[in-house]
Amino acid sequence: MPRAFDPITLEILWRRLISIVDEADSSVARTAFSSLLRDAHDYTCMFTDRLGRELAQGSFATPGQSGAMALGIKNLIKKFPLDHYQPGDVFITNDPWALAGHLNDVCVMSPIYYKEQLVAFTACVFHHSDIGGRVASDNHDVFEEGLFIPVVKLYHRGVLNESVMDMIRWNVRTPDEVIGDIRSQIAANHVCAEKVRQMLKESNLDTLDDLADQVIGLTEKGMREEIEKIPDGVYDARGIIEQVKGKGDIVIQAKVEIRGSDIIVDLDGSSGQVDWGGNVVFNFTYAYVFMAVKSMFAPDIPNNDGCARPIQLSAPEGTVVNCKFPAAVAARMGVGHFLTEVIYRALSNVLPNRVIAGSGGTPAAMNVFYGRRKDGKPWHSVIIRGGGMGAGANNDGNYVYIFPANGANTPVEIFESDTPLIVEKRELLVDSCGLGTMKGGLGKREIFKVPDDQYAPIPPVNLGIQAGRYVYPAEGLFEGKPGSKAQFLVNGIPGNSYGLTQLIPGDVVTIDAPGGGGYGNPLEREPEMVASDVIEGYVSLESARNDYGVVVNPVTGEIDREETKRLRQLRIKNEKVLNS
Amino acid sequence: MRDKYYRLGCDIGGTFTDFVLLNDQTGEITTGKCLTTPRDPSDAVEEGIRALEATAPDFVAKLDELIHGTTLVINSIIERKGAITGLITTKGFRDVLEIGREIRYAPYDVFAEFPKPLVPRRYRTEVDERVRSDGSVIKALDTEEARQTVRALLDMGVESIAVCLLNSFENPSHELMLLEIIEKEAPGISVSISYHVLPQIKEYERTSTTVTNAYVKPLTGRYLSKLAARLESIGFKGKLFIMLSSGGVTSVETAAEFPVRIIESGPTAAVIAGQYYGKHFNIPEMFCFDMGGTTAKSCLIQKGVAGVVPTFEVGRVQRFMKGSGLTIQVPVVDLMEIGAGGGSIAKVSKLGTLQVGPESSGADPGPICYGRGGTGPCVTDADLLLGYLDENYFLGGTMNLDKESARRGVEEGIAKPLGVSFIQAVWGIHDLINETMAAAAKTHIAEKGGNPKIVTIAAFGGAGPVHAYGLAKKLGAPRLLVPPNAGVGSAMGFFTAPRAFDLLRSHKVPLASVNFSEIEDIFRGLEADAGKILKKEATDEMIRYERSLDMRFVGQGSEINVPVPAGDFTKLQRADIRRFFDDVYKKLYGRTYPESEVEFINFKIRASLPERLLQLPRFSRKKGQSLDAAIKGQRPAYSPIARDFIPYTVYDRYKLFPAAEFQGPAIIEEKESTLIVGEDGHVSIDDFGFLWIDLKEV
Repeated sequence: MPRAFDPITLEILWRRLISIVDEADSSVARTAFSSLLRDAHDYTCMFTDRLGRELAQGSFATPGQSGAMALGIKNLIKKFPLDHYQPGDVFITNDPWALAGHLNDVCVMSPIYYKEQLVAFTACVFHHSDIGGRVASDNHDVFEEGLFIPVVKLYHRGVLNESVMDMIRWNVRTPDEVIGDIRSQIAANHVCAEKVRQMLKESNLDTLDDLADQVIGLTEKGMREEIEKIPDGVYDARGIIEQVKGKGDIVIQAKVEIRGSDIIVDLDGSSGQVDWGGNVVFNFTYAYVFMAVKSMFAPDIPNNDGCARPIQLSAPEGTVVNCKFPAAVAARMGVGHFLTEVIYRALSNVLPNRVIAGSGGTPAAMNVFYGRRKDGKPWHSVIIRGGGMGAGANNDGNYVYIFPANGANTPVEIFESDTPLIVEKRELLVDSCGLGTMKGGLGKREIFKVPDDQYAPIPPVNLGIQAGRYVYPAEGLFEGKPGSKAQFLVNGIPGNSYGLTQLIPGDVVTIDAPGGGGYGNPLEREPEMVASDVIEGYVSLESARNDYGVVVNPVTGEIDREETKRLRQLRIKNEKVLNS
Repeated sequence: MRDKYYRLGCDIGGTFTDFVLLNDQTGEITTGKCLTTPRDPSDAVEEGIRALEATAPDFVAKLDELIHGTTLVINSIIERKGAITGLITTKGFRDVLEIGREIRYAPYDVFAEFPKPLVPRRYRTEVDERVRSDGSVIKALDTEEARQTVRALLDMGVESIAVCLLNSFENPSHELMLLEIIEKEAPGISVSISYHVLPQIKEYERTSTTVTNAYVKPLTGRYLSKLAARLESIGFKGKLFIMLSSGGVTSVETAAEFPVRIIESGPTAAVIAGQYYGKHFNIPEMFCFDMGGTTAKSCLIQKGVAGVVPTFEVGRVQRFMKGSGLTIQVPVVDLMEIGAGGGSIAKVSKLGTLQVGPESSGADPGPICYGRGGTGPCVTDADLLLGYLDENYFLGGTMNLDKESARRGVEEGIAKPLGVSFIQAVWGIHDLINETMAAAAKTHIAEKGGNPKIVTIAAFGGAGPVHAYGLAKKLGAPRLLVPPNAGVGSAMGFFTAPRAFDLLRSHKVPLASVNFSEIEDIFRGLEADAGKILKKEATDEMIRYERSLDMRFVGQGSEINVPVPAGDFTKLQRADIRRFFDDVYKKLYGRTYPESEVEFINFKIRASLPERLLQLPRFSRKKGQSLDAAIKGQRPAYSPIARDFIPYTVYDRYKLFPAAEFQGPAIIEEKESTLIVGEDGHVSIDDFGFLWIDLKEV
């Protein structure tokens, strides 16, 4: 007989579930080694019921990881009969198809027992900045990309399998860091398991089953109520993503159907899988479809299995959005992150206030620098970066953020103390925002120099880049204009934007992060907002006049009302003629 | 006999300015309160002092010290009322302040707002210079260009200038040159350079802190000198001290130079009082819990010492959302603040469950029972309906509460829509806010390596004693401590705060290869600087120095603070340092990794003068005092153990006496607060009038 919780008790216990994961989550910040984890929070902790249904995840979880994990863990748990699990077991895997879509995302998972019964699973995925392999997005298959760890037991009944640790240690460039971070994962799961047991004890429960049913059921109901408000219909959108020169564009074709309280997303018609690392596994595609739906309909409900239930996704196998083993997948964010904006675009007409234009932080860009100092000591550092976010109906785009993923930058002073390189610039790019009634977020320029004086490292300095938007900028919405494009220059000349670049002392690298798309016609932007942008130096005087039709005195910030009116009227008239 | 034997604590809050006067000869304590005067806060100070003179005639001339805490600085940041501030940075980095750390604090909220930088872009300028991460100079500062940059800022009308150059914590020469240029170009203008404010690695955090200092420096300086003049004019001849966010007190001059260090000076006093009680009663782990109208502030105090953290946020644009405020990196008492108070509003969530807070009805209109137009049921309404508060004895009976309207509010707003009984609804509100506080408390205590199962909860604030029992049950804490006049209890902190100042310097270097004499030089330099600051306050006393290191495994993302013995660092062995590190790491995280190398990040010192002790007044049983005489009567109140209303005995706290003890269920009333004790709690009163409540294990 299932126990029914009244709405107050339910809320109290639900909160406790979330606080358990947050405690595990905060333990990571204190024990992790790599700055990608500590400073950039590129990890996700969650726990599920004994059937693998997600119950709670860390409040600062990364959407790509958490969405993919929610699906992945459920399938993983089903792989074995429940009696296969034993107290003290710890599993580890980085199988991209099983979990989060590339080898760097390593998952550590453990069953949780209470009163000798299996009651839940705890898992966390960390993005390890090093997993061996050839660090670049132009690998041809997953074997080139690094160490592949199938689902194996790291601990069996509490006893460490040293061979697995050794296997990992000898396949990565920075073993102390990688092993240290795996230990941090084990510790986080340990915290979670302890707290789950404590909660069951304090709440007089033997299992989580009834609580899980009700938390998930309630969440599903909440999601469905929001979806139901949208008129039924089929809404289409298409995303075009560039590839390396000489290769055709990748197309994401999305058909989004709202049927009652269900959302059915069909990606049939999307491009076939590619011969480089841009392929996306089904879980990861799902994660960013989920991100779009969740952020539009119920951003404030805590994530669990119930949020996912109204969403059905189909993506034909062998396409770039559901690739087959052994496709290369290291740069899966280069395609996967676009799914969110494609879904936004499809639903922009029915939900104009809940979407934003294309973002410069789609895809998240990753710059991996490594090499040897002049004394031969190896170094390795990763900078992830976003761009300007797309504008919304009532807000300019924020900057400079990774979106729809998330993450933090590496401070220049930390980067310079970890590497022999010099950062010459990290600043906002004037006029990089997409024009609009609401303007897109600004992009950013960073310049790196390889020293050629007594600090010169032993060449080469390797730079692996995973990025996008070099050809197609972030698009605007409702007459808003696109943001600026990405750029990668070596000594002022466009470099290999997708692969591995070898630099020598004296080289200077420029990396421009793209701007976000605008929303609405720029000629309708409040002149005062344009004037303020000019005074602060976000928008040039020329752009104010030529693009926004606003004439501003650059010293006083005063607006020439007459001239502005005249310019704008003329422009609107001309646009009408041109459009007809 | 000293001719100056009074000490006065004065805390300027948003609404009230509080006063506590201590007579060091008798231990007698007098309190006062008056409305804050925002236009000139020293008006309220004078008014309050005049009022105290009624009970202690001519005490002003006999004041030895006046210790002051203020929310003025934090409010001017939140309300954006600081100076027009200019920023000078290294060429290529004028946007560091605006770019920040690039993380979205609400991953699924695409419309999340971010705080605007305190210095708009037009006031952010660059100079051509560059220092490497090891402190060597790549490009020397072009002084002529720097001069022009400074002039340009002055022409724009800036009132305060912040300077933050890359890697200046390793080599401040360029910042110091700029300081000289600025002082020459604009004598008397307010300047803040990052090397003086916070010589610590990470350019965004350092810039943000330096800019914040510059932003509030002119107004803090003006305010403090005005206050000093006002005090002098009414005959004050003692020393004036300002409370630091880190829990020490400092001179007016230092506070005016580094106002960013007094941002949290108000709430810190409660923690310092907690530290004092922790030491006085020898409590190994104490959880200070101060619950007021809109927020609950708490802090773990271990062996009488509160944690100090290196960073915090000001002016969060989304209340209580981590990451939505401006980052300030100066030492601050590790205070956890959450949106849970008597005014927290209960409502039905979108999903049909109960939600309480973080929205608050504040003091106006306040909870329904205040009868001032509030319509949303609040925690205080629930506390009243549960029988915990007496509608006729709120704030000592000065305010009558409207129980009937509160009942209707909960019935209509919560019970009916949720489909639960009235009792379930009222208890649910009380219990859920306790759950919220317990969840936050657990994380906080765990982060400090504490154990909730052994903490003593010290309850302060109007609502603290009402909820402390429920919180203790949720944490599994065995004991409660309620000081007399819980409202005043926190202001006692002013008298027990040490005169102390913390300084640090970043220098990243591995333990294996570092030269210990280089470290000794860094420590000596820091100690000399801090010594100068303290010597302004007292020349004849012994300054005590404490040293610590921020260390981590090589390549790890975060550091731990490792205390090291004072005195010559070169006398230490590498193995000693390693052992210190491993001990701390193990305590925090359960295990350590001896095979992994460690490195230093920051070198920290705390310089302090001996604490002035405070004698808590002792009481004794007066003739005719008895428990029976202290009992006001009985009233039904809710028991979560019985799951029903049961009769609670109501005591008048002012009639309780040392060595009295009794068993719950009990309600102990005093003017500003009410203590609730369930039937499994045992109450005893000590010689100092403190209530101790022992709880049976859950």
